[in-house]
Order: sequence, then structure tokens, then C-alpha cells
Amino acid sequence: MKEKDVYVDFEPQQLIMYVEKEDGSYGPIQTGSYISKNYLDDFWEKTVKLRNTLLEKLKKNEITPIHFYKTIHDFSDIELSRRTKVSVRKVKQHQKIDGFKKAKLSDLKKYAYAFDIPVSNLLQTIVIEGNENKVEANPSKQPIVVKQTRTENPFVVITKIELNK
Amino acid sequence: MIIDSFNHNMAAHCESGTLTALLKHKGLEVTEPMMFGLGSGLYFGYLSRTPNLNFPMFILRTKPGKLRKKIAKRTDIKFNTKRFKTENEAEQELDDLINKGIPVACQVDFFYMDYIPQWERVHANIHFITIVGKEGDEYLVSDSYFPKLARIHKDNLKKARFAGGYLAPKGFRYYIEYVPESVNYNKLIPIALKNTINNMIGVQPPFIGVRGIRTFAKKLQGWPKLTRDIDHLSHEVMKINVFLEDQGTGGGGFRFLYATFLRQASEILQSKGLEEMSKKMMEIGDGWRNISYFAARIGKNRDLGPEKLQELGHMINERADAEEGFFKELKLVVNNI
Repeated sequence: MKEKDVYVDFEPQQLIMYVEKEDGSYGPIQTGSYISKNYLDDFWEKTVKLRNTLLEKLKKNEITPIHFYKTIHDFSDIELSRRTKVSVRKVKQHQKIDGFKKAKLSDLKKYAYAFDIPVSNLLQTIVIEGNENKVEANPSKQPIVVKQTRTENPFVVITKIELNK
Repeated sequence: MIIDSFNHNMAAHCESGTLTALLKHKGLEVTEPMMFGLGSGLYFGYLSRTPNLNFPMFILRTKPGKLRKKIAKRTDIKFNTKRFKTENEAEQELDDLINKGIPVACQVDFFYMDYIPQWERVHANIHFITIVGKEGDEYLVSDSYFPKLARIHKDNLKKARFAGGYLAPKGFRYYIEYVPESVNYNKLIPIALKNTINNMIGVQPPFIGVRGIRTFAKKLQGWPKLTRDIDHLSHEVMKINVFLEDQGTGGGGFRFLYATFLRQASEILQSKGLEEMSKKMMEIGDGWRNISYFAARIGKNRDLGPEKLQELGHMINERADAEEGFFKELKLVVNNI
């Protein structure tokens, strides 16, 4: 691929591509990501749509929080089991409405760790009004920020809602 | 503590980039394409039945870690490698090495690299970074996919090094203990080339090498049955572009990187044949890049009916034909070196 055909002006995501340079030599150039520059909006649209669809199902008690986050993180049952050390049988069980009720707090802690969220977020969703249909790539551009700080107690998190200064 | 003597540079691929940077830091002048080629990194595999994966995927390079192992086996470079049972032991050892001024490569889950844009970060336990310092609770990270030195909180690094799941890193780290004054390229290049030729057109299972490319073209037609809805299908088809271009391939699914290796190899071995093959590999990479553009476009337009998937499959089959011819010809060239 010729150098001029590869270069993409997209500062947020830089890559190294190997190209044929003007003098005929082969070597690296630093460029932006073609797909992110041209199709990032589509990615966010799909992400928001998936999240909202799952959230509606969650609110109607059709799916469990484990299924919600498992789908968001694109884990298979086996992958989630390996990451949490909860058996595959239990992972399947915890994705069923009745099965989730039987989940132990210690299991929820393991799931929360794998999903990189506080345990409390398995039982609540924090939404900024008017932002339900947005996923902002850059949190610093949000007017309001939600900060969750872990404490020494693994089950307690401090949630602060602040104006973005 | 910051290891000032370490020069951060972006690279096409995290594994070959990390390896190249560490070797250069140790005083051995090497290039990323040469490391990729000498480690026989080029590959193709279509994974449709791996239970850890939610959806079929294709791979374009050898298993993570294999590149370094092959370099270790083929050269006199000595690596010090270790996995850990406990997080604290891994962290303590890392701190000790940093304090001794030794940059350390770590295998991590890419998801936790929070300096990388959110949209890029996916769970993949196959990312390699180099830790080059520590200040307070933060480590300084040289990541091939980030333009400058980054910082990561120690808790995040811990999670990334000990994420469970498929290819779990288990705290894996390595550093370089010894590098020879030079590498015998004349001897090693043909060995590495033969290995890659075997991976691509040798006796392999039907999902590996050129046969794997054809399997990909065929199985792709069944993707609509595996997806939740049209958005999901669009997402998976557009990931073809990401796998070929953005996920550390140097473009065209590592083919441009390999073409550059062949060019450098031709200069070292004074081989006109290899120079010609480098041009042909560049053209093969162009074909893969056309596939990635096409996949992105039909995915975005949700134009994913059977005819479009067949067209995409046809383009992939053309790559299989081109690569089969290429590696057969390369075999003849290598045999004459």
C-alpha cells in the first residue's frame, strides 16, 4: 500500500502502518485509524442501542444483571466462569431470573471484579437525565460526571455526582 | 524511579514491538519487521469452535508468546521469564526489577489499559506492554499502541496481569538477560521463512493457513444465523476491518509488515528473488486492505444480505488463492538461497 493511500488524519487513535514509501522503500508511518475516523459514530450508536435494549429487559425482569454485563463485555459463559472462578453451571444459573436470586454475595463480588464495577452496580443503574441515549467517548466533555470510589470495605462504594469543572 | 535510557516508540504489533524495544535498549540494533519475520509470526487461523469465544474469530499471527519463544530458540538471546501465583509477589518483583533499572515486558488484559481510548479497549489477554518506571502508585508504561509513555495505576496493572479467562497472563513477565553482538541473519532467515511457508501451505488442519482462509470465506456465510440481530452482524463484520488493520497488524493483516521483512531479508541475503516476493506480499496486503474497507462499508450500511456476504467470501477466497501461489513460489525462492 502506498504511503499516500494509508495516511488518515485522526489524532485520538494512532497506529503504525507499514507502507511503500515514495522512494520505493518499505517502512513504518504513524497514522490515524481509518475505521475509527469514519465509523466511530456507528459503533457508539450500536453500543447505546444494545445497552438500552438490555436495560429495558433488565427493568422488565426478563434478564439478570449477570446476563446484562456478560453481554456488554462480550464474554461467553465459559470465559466468565474462568474469569470469576464461579462454575459454568452457576454462571448459567445466575443468568436466569430465579437462579440469580440464589446467587451468594461472594459470587456477586467475583462477577463485579470481572466486570470492573462496584458490587452495588449489579443492583442499580446510574443514569444522568437526558444522557440515556449518549455514550460520550471523552468523559471530560460531559457536563455532569459520576465518580465511584472504592472503599476498604469491598461491598461499599462512594458515588459522587459532580458538575464537570 | 524512571528508566530514562529506555526509548519509547510506537510499533505495529505489541509483541514484536515490545521485543524490538527491549532488544534495542539492550544494545542490539534490530527492526520490528525482522523480529516478526524471524519469529515466523505470520499465520492464519479461523477459530469457530473455541468455547471461550462468544463468536467465531480469525487470527493472523501465531499464538501470543510464540514469536518470542521462536526468537529465543533461533538466536542466542536469553530471556528471563516468569509467571506468578500471587498478585503481591508479582508486584513486588516488578518493583525490584524497575529499581534495578531493568525494563520489564508484561502480558496483560488490554481492557484495563485505561490510557487507550474507550472504544478500542476489549478483553484480550494477549497484549504486551513494557513497564519502564514507577512513581507513587503509578507505573510508567511503554505501549506500542500509544504515542507517548503512559501511566497506569498499580491496581489496574494488577487486574490486567491477573485477569482470568482464555490465555490468562498469570502475571507473566519477561526481560532480556543477554543479547549477542550480532544475529546470524544469513542462517536464520531461511529457517524462519520455511517455518512460515509450512504454517501457511504445509500439512495443517482445515482451519489453519491457506485452508483456514478458505474456511473463513465459507463459514462467513453462516454468520447471520449466529448473531442476535442486524446490528450484531454489522458489528462482527466491521470487526473484520479492526482485526485486519487496527489490532496491531501494521495494516493488511500483518501482510505489509511481512512484506517489509522480506524486503529487509532480500537486502541482507542479496536476493533478487526475495525482493520480488516482498513486492508480491505487498500486493497481497493491498487485497486484504480492500476486504477490510469493504467489510466496514457493508457493515455500516447494514447491507449484509447473502449476496454481499458471498461477495466478501469471494474476495477472501481470492486472498487464499493469492497466498497459496505466493507461498509455493516463496518455497522455490528459499530453496535456491
